[in-house]
Amino acid sequence: MNKISRRDFLKFIGAGSIGAGAGLLYGKSTKKTVELLLPQVIPPEDYSPGIATWYNTICQQCGAGCGISVRTREGRAKKIEGNSNHPVNQGRLCAMGQAGLNALYNPDRIKSPLKRTGERGNNSFTEISWDEALTTLGSRLGNLKIQKHGDSVYLLTGGVRGHIDKLFATFMEAMGSDNYFHYDFTHPFALYEANRIIFGEEIIPYYDINNANYVLSFGADYLGTWISPVHYSLAYGHLRQGRGNQRGKCVQIEPRMSLTGANADEWITCLPGTEGLLAMGLAHVIMNDGGYTGSDQNEWMQAVTPYSPSVVSRQTGVEVRDITRLAHEFMKHQPGLAIGGGHTEGNTNAVASLTAINALNYLSGNLGKPGGIIFNPEPAFPNMSIKRQANYTQMLELITAMTNKGVDILLVHNTNPVFNLPPAAKFIEALHGVPLLVSLSSFMDETTALADLVLPTHTYLEAWGDDIPEPGVGFPIASISQPVVKPVYNTQSIGDIILALAHQIGGELPVALPWTQTEDYLKDSWKKIYQERTPVDATAGFDDFWKAALMSGVWGENKTRPLIKFDRLSNNQIQKIHVSQPSFAGDEKDYPFVLLPYLTQTFYDGRGANLPWLQELPDPMTSIVYSSWVELNPKTANRLGISEGDVLEVQSIAGTIRAPAFLYPAIRPDVIAMPIGQGHSHYGRYAQNRGVNPMTILAPEVDDTNGALAWSATRVRITKTEERIRIIKTDGVTRTLGRQILGNNSVHT
Amino acid sequence: MSISVRDALGTFKKPAVISIIGLIGFIIGYVIDVTVFSDASPVQPINFSHRMHVSKNSIPCLHCHVYADKTPSAGVPGVSKCMGCHKVIATEHPEIQKLATYWEKREPIPWIKVHDVPDFVYFTHKRHVLAGLACQECHGPVENMDRVTRVSSLKMPWCVDCHTKKQVENGRDCWTCHK
Repeated sequence: MNKISRRDFLKFIGAGSIGAGAGLLYGKSTKKTVELLLPQVIPPEDYSPGIATWYNTICQQCGAGCGISVRTREGRAKKIEGNSNHPVNQGRLCAMGQAGLNALYNPDRIKSPLKRTGERGNNSFTEISWDEALTTLGSRLGNLKIQKHGDSVYLLTGGVRGHIDKLFATFMEAMGSDNYFHYDFTHPFALYEANRIIFGEEIIPYYDINNANYVLSFGADYLGTWISPVHYSLAYGHLRQGRGNQRGKCVQIEPRMSLTGANADEWITCLPGTEGLLAMGLAHVIMNDGGYTGSDQNEWMQAVTPYSPSVVSRQTGVEVRDITRLAHEFMKHQPGLAIGGGHTEGNTNAVASLTAINALNYLSGNLGKPGGIIFNPEPAFPNMSIKRQANYTQMLELITAMTNKGVDILLVHNTNPVFNLPPAAKFIEALHGVPLLVSLSSFMDETTALADLVLPTHTYLEAWGDDIPEPGVGFPIASISQPVVKPVYNTQSIGDIILALAHQIGGELPVALPWTQTEDYLKDSWKKIYQERTPVDATAGFDDFWKAALMSGVWGENKTRPLIKFDRLSNNQIQKIHVSQPSFAGDEKDYPFVLLPYLTQTFYDGRGANLPWLQELPDPMTSIVYSSWVELNPKTANRLGISEGDVLEVQSIAGTIRAPAFLYPAIRPDVIAMPIGQGHSHYGRYAQNRGVNPMTILAPEVDDTNGALAWSATRVRITKTEERIRIIKTDGVTRTLGRQILGNNSVHT
Repeated sequence: MSISVRDALGTFKKPAVISIIGLIGFIIGYVIDVTVFSDASPVQPINFSHRMHVSKNSIPCLHCHVYADKTPSAGVPGVSKCMGCHKVIATEHPEIQKLATYWEKREPIPWIKVHDVPDFVYFTHKRHVLAGLACQECHGPVENMDRVTRVSSLKMPWCVDCHTKKQVENGRDCWTCHK
């Protein structure tokens, strides 16, 4: 027994080694995984690891001009919040603003200057140095200037404001060209024109929703996408719950329920494009029931005579008693506001409709008082952007110039006309007549993909700039945009590019623009504010003022404008107030539905589609993510045998697109709606080849008055195809299925 | 005919012996792992010697770990800081050439962490440095190390021991470190 057999010996050895192996493995498993300690290659000077530094700057995801505070750590931007000092958003921020980080750190940003190598549109570019890029462009521009052909240089940008806008203007003027335009699909052309007609100035006033008792909104999605949604959302909260027991009433009139419609007390639909007629109907009731006692009563009476409730009821599809009731409520609950936007903006009678809506404010005496329309005082520096906005008709003029070889160099910055113009405009075709298309952009969007020369720009989180928010907040403010991180890629700020070009070209350009850095240019420009406006502290020098403005992110003046009294519009003006029936492209028999493309809170006009956080954010009304869809009323769907996910062919006189059906109860049976923003053929991995762009089937209908694109005036027909896909959404079922979620007795009306 | 239980016993004995040998093997294996294959002194991408910098050339700790008295983390110098001297000093040394390669590629040096406390511990260098603690009390004689070796366990009993010994105010309060 004492002898160990060979077999046992092997067993012991085996046991020993297995034990040792297990011991080794156990020891290893208790150790932490290897963590790396990565130093920065060149650390920023003013940072402390582990301690956040906040920079105040401006959000530029849409045109509202909210102030933001960006939290940075170790020189990297980590989180964007609203700047609580800023009167526009007062510390709040929307999803698009939050997603700014996605733009900054987007893997599909253009990382260095590019030169086209292959055919235009083949997406074949080679990287070049900044020197080469600036020399190429500078010499081409310089040659044109020497040959006195500076006017064949065109600059097309998004809705840029403040001193960057002025920089562009000075540059173009020195080039000898007055062809500097803005193209922003979301620009409310009709609203500006209507305000000019009634109030005499082309400016958006301050709509004081805060203190209103009644908000009558004709399609304006002020909680979602209408001009300054974050500010209006705040105001809405105040209107509802901020004044003790006093609670304002909101009525939303629109063919498709928006987020604002869902939050309103009452949602009313009228036939698409007849919002203005309805407003005239309300005006008729107000006049006839003695709601207006101004000295120009007779003229008004005359103007509203054709719009008796019974006539308007027939034209709009709204019942007579609703028209009278709304008019009486509006008169009784003063101060009240009548505002218009959304699809009301997108019809052929948009200007007339918005003028009629403005007239309601005039008749109810809401002008220039709290809870009504307050006129903004003169801004600290003029806002020229409104005048430069090119509407569809003006874009057509540009396109004609391009086709006729009148454009030698087209510079495009922060706007994407290839995506945001209907194909009927033939923008792409017209590019054949342009020898040099230069894109100054952070991303390879559809327009940039066609460019000959691409100069990549900083995102707004890396660049200097400033802004006067539009619409203003009732007193003069201006805000500064400062870089919060070092440039992530080999890009330059648009201001620096323009200044470098000015020096490259020479002549009078460096005289007009002597600066080499945007920061210096801005500082010099702000000296004017410092000198002319009420100083914060008379003893503080400019440097202190500048530092204080940078730290708070916004400068303001405690000054309100004396209330303007509109005692009387001229008789001529009143007589001109007239709303006609809207017209639509396509015969009603062949194309039975009106197509309502709408802006979304995530993609806006399509610019947000390359940001993954926005792609994965469910649409607030439908909960759908990542795709395009066609909203139609369940009744319509039932009649046509369509169920959710059936791929539909949506056909207009201009083209056809395919998207899955989504049954949406809160839409008129005679319209269908589609979100704008998807359907990019370029614009990075997150945007590309996802959904469809309803803009591609829009017929080129324009507004009767100002020639802006009537983007809700296209009729379509829908055909069910064999294909069927599952719509990706976070909602389960939209019905309660007898589960009594709201309870039987808990809902009071 | 005698009756023997030996065979029967044997069937019990053998598995017992096997498991004991297995257990001993396990312990030996574990000890070998934590001693021989210890992670207290990992091989770094560049053979950086603290002895050379601190003892021989008398560079104080805070010259490179600039944030130790200002922020929670002591901070590792940026590559630019290394190059500040090594553009001219010892440029022919193979390890310095490795450094130069990182610098040219504008890449960070992937140092391996030697001292790390779990994420649920709130530790700040600032307080410890400002309290007058020498770096060596926790990190050991780094000035004599060619390769940094962890000498303290950095485990909770070790922390609490010191807090008790030095009678740190609220030093034994949970919230002091776990917040």
